[in-house]
Amino acid sequence: MSITIKNISKKFGTFAALKNADFVVEGGELVALLGPSGSGKTTLLRIIAGLEFADEGKIFFGDRDVTQQSAYQRKAGFVFQHYALFQHLNVFENVAFGLRVRKKNRPSEAQIRQRVEELLGAVQLRDFARRMPSQLSGGQRQRVAFARALAIEPEVLLLDEPFGALDAKVRKELRQWLRQFHDTTHLTSLFVTHDQDEAFEVADRVVIIDKGQVQQIGTPAEVRESPANEFVEEFLDVRPVHA
Amino acid sequence: MAVRKHILPGFRFTLGYTLFYLSIIVLIPFSALFLKTFTGGWEHFFKAVTDPRVVSSYYVSFGIAFIAAVVNGFFGVLAAWVLARYNFPGRRILDAIVDLPFALPTAVAGIALTTIYAPNGWIGEWFTYQGWIGQHFHPDSPLGGLLAGQEWFKNNFLGPKGIKIAYTQIGVFIALTFIGLPFVVRTVQPVIQDLAVDVEEAAATLGANRWQTFWRVIFPAILPSVLTGVMLAYGRAVGEFGSVVFISGNLPFKTEITPLLIIMKLDQYDYAGGAALGFVMLLGSFVILLISNGLQAWDQKRRGLA
Amino acid sequence: MAGAITTFPTKVATPRRATAESPLVKAILLTVVLVFFTLFLVLPLVVIFREAFSRGLPFFLKTFEDRATLHSIQLTLITAAIAVPLNTLFGVLAAWAVTRFNFRGRSLLISLIDLPLWVSPVIGGLIYVLVFGRQGWLGPWLSEHNIKIIFALPGIVMATTFVTFPFVARGLIPLMQAQGHKEEEAAMTLGANGWQIFWKVTVPKIKWGLLYGIILCNARAMGEFGAVSVVSGHIRNQTNTIPLHIEILYNEYPNTGAFVLASLLSVLALVTLLIKTYAEWQAERQLKAAASDPS
Repeated sequence: MSITIKNISKKFGTFAALKNADFVVEGGELVALLGPSGSGKTTLLRIIAGLEFADEGKIFFGDRDVTQQSAYQRKAGFVFQHYALFQHLNVFENVAFGLRVRKKNRPSEAQIRQRVEELLGAVQLRDFARRMPSQLSGGQRQRVAFARALAIEPEVLLLDEPFGALDAKVRKELRQWLRQFHDTTHLTSLFVTHDQDEAFEVADRVVIIDKGQVQQIGTPAEVRESPANEFVEEFLDVRPVHA
Repeated sequence: MAVRKHILPGFRFTLGYTLFYLSIIVLIPFSALFLKTFTGGWEHFFKAVTDPRVVSSYYVSFGIAFIAAVVNGFFGVLAAWVLARYNFPGRRILDAIVDLPFALPTAVAGIALTTIYAPNGWIGEWFTYQGWIGQHFHPDSPLGGLLAGQEWFKNNFLGPKGIKIAYTQIGVFIALTFIGLPFVVRTVQPVIQDLAVDVEEAAATLGANRWQTFWRVIFPAILPSVLTGVMLAYGRAVGEFGSVVFISGNLPFKTEITPLLIIMKLDQYDYAGGAALGFVMLLGSFVILLISNGLQAWDQKRRGLA
Repeated sequence: MAGAITTFPTKVATPRRATAESPLVKAILLTVVLVFFTLFLVLPLVVIFREAFSRGLPFFLKTFEDRATLHSIQLTLITAAIAVPLNTLFGVLAAWAVTRFNFRGRSLLISLIDLPLWVSPVIGGLIYVLVFGRQGWLGPWLSEHNIKIIFALPGIVMATTFVTFPFVARGLIPLMQAQGHKEEEAAMTLGANGWQIFWKVTVPKIKWGLLYGIILCNARAMGEFGAVSVVSGHIRNQTNTIPLHIEILYNEYPNTGAFVLASLLSVLALVTLLIKTYAEWQAERQLKAAASDPS
């Protein structure tokens, strides 16, 4: 299912966080939203999820206009930067949460168990079902957050700096895992990052954003070979020196 | 369609209920207070609030409360420091018991303090002519002889058995100190805990001794919170009733507090008079609140919290 | 630390850290604080329990055979049973409103919630007398219809409710502010509605703070003296709560039954402090667990 971002603008007080953001994430695509901190990329992602509301513009999931829908009606899978796991629930219950709160056609206990175990298997955490979030490493927490978001069978997946809080090695592993996961499911995904290596390695297309405005959209190769403007050129040039 | 503003659900319901509840329980009754205050006319209002007996109760309620708050300021800082910085057996218990005046019913505190400080009480006894402190005030002793000639001392503090603590302004002071004790400690303690130790270390490397570090680095950093705590303790003590009425003895022109006079006016069905005194107290409390809010804002700004 | 070494030449112990006081200063400060606390906090407690049991256990128990005493206990329980749930509901909703949303007048609202803490409890009683009393706003109408509010249970409940309404809200507001609402947002993206978010995510997070708020509200409701004094009329067997009955017993026969009842309320206060300490410890642990990031 595609995500259409139509002319989205948002102000916080007098500060314009987003100015006429306008693009489409095609169904089955994996797109990175790349930009420096404070560029408005997280705000845009939260607007798409319904965690923030735009002053102007519309959001469509496929043909469905979700602009006025609350986050719990949109059911976009959302992976938070700092995981936002429920501290009082164990891993199993965290993943099961979205299924248990369903009002209409809630799955049976057996179905929930099967689904959760499947997901925990997919993120390689089957043996950790009874652990509490505080007993997990950062990478494990992030994988629980993935499984939890996927449990509701979302039509789109939104990820806010999904690897931001992890150390370099774990980050690399999870990146590859995300790409493989996407190749098997083709779930429409949009993820926010400030790390161009990450964006270029994982994404089908990259949306570069700065000062609330989209600067360029294209495949990693396109963007690298022909930067649309000075900002993009400079932003891509200043490659952070890290492992 | 209107632009949605709030993300989490329940804005209208929770705020609506909050305002509804507050209107019923606070706003309507308080508007009665304001209206009733002036139903008797300006003259009655003025007469009620400037009656000599009432004015002398202001000295007790506002004056002694202030002294108690300042004393709490001093001991509160010490206690906050000790609780935040030192490790000693029983620290947790001491820390928990600070809030006792907040949880103990005021009437219970009142009778307990009165029992301790009455002439036959554990501490009151010390001040009788037989006691280890009171004996120095016996009219035959040099100091006692000197003071026995002083009218104000004889009138206020001397009883047949010796120096009185309960049933004097000292007793009122003790009750008000008790009641205000948690406020300074609880306001200053977190600030001391948040103080960055490296600033103190920096002062030490620059050659400041501990005493200089305290006065030049630590004290300025905690001062706003100390003043805030003192004002909170003051605000609480000004309106205090339960713990005071037992230990004060309620002597007109000496230890009578303003809240008690409000009750007496109501008992005589002088509603306008009671409302007038209530209005004055409210005004006083409001000024104290404004000052403490201003101090709090200053403190938070300095600590970079706002 | 040459200074420290020359001051204590005989000691080979590790030199004092630059950010610590000398042991002597430490000892003095600790002593002053201990004496201050003993005088003002410990001694009153000791006196209460000593006086309560000074005539032995039989006398202690006999106090509860008195009809007026039993009635005062009953009235106090009824009052708390009405005021505490009302204020709990209010406190939770108010805390949700002021910590989850930003709106104009928010800080004014928070100050308003604090109001009973900075006005005299006597004023808390006075305002209701002015509305419902014999010469109050509604007084004539009420007496015409034979409805008694002042000098009766409704007045006592109202005054108690007024004096104790901030406690649950004040316990929750700082806690909910510190916790933020990331988890609530996560629940929302998973399809939970407001009610489900509240019960399944928020309540488990705030339960200890909430419990402390309720317990403190209850202790204050049962112990309220000033506000209730004004509206009660002190009618024995009718409108005397425990604190008012303590006053009467104390004035009539000092040092007897008054302290028995006082010891009861003191136990309640001590339990309240115990739960507070535990709740704070729990909240601290929760925040730490949420903040820890062992990646």
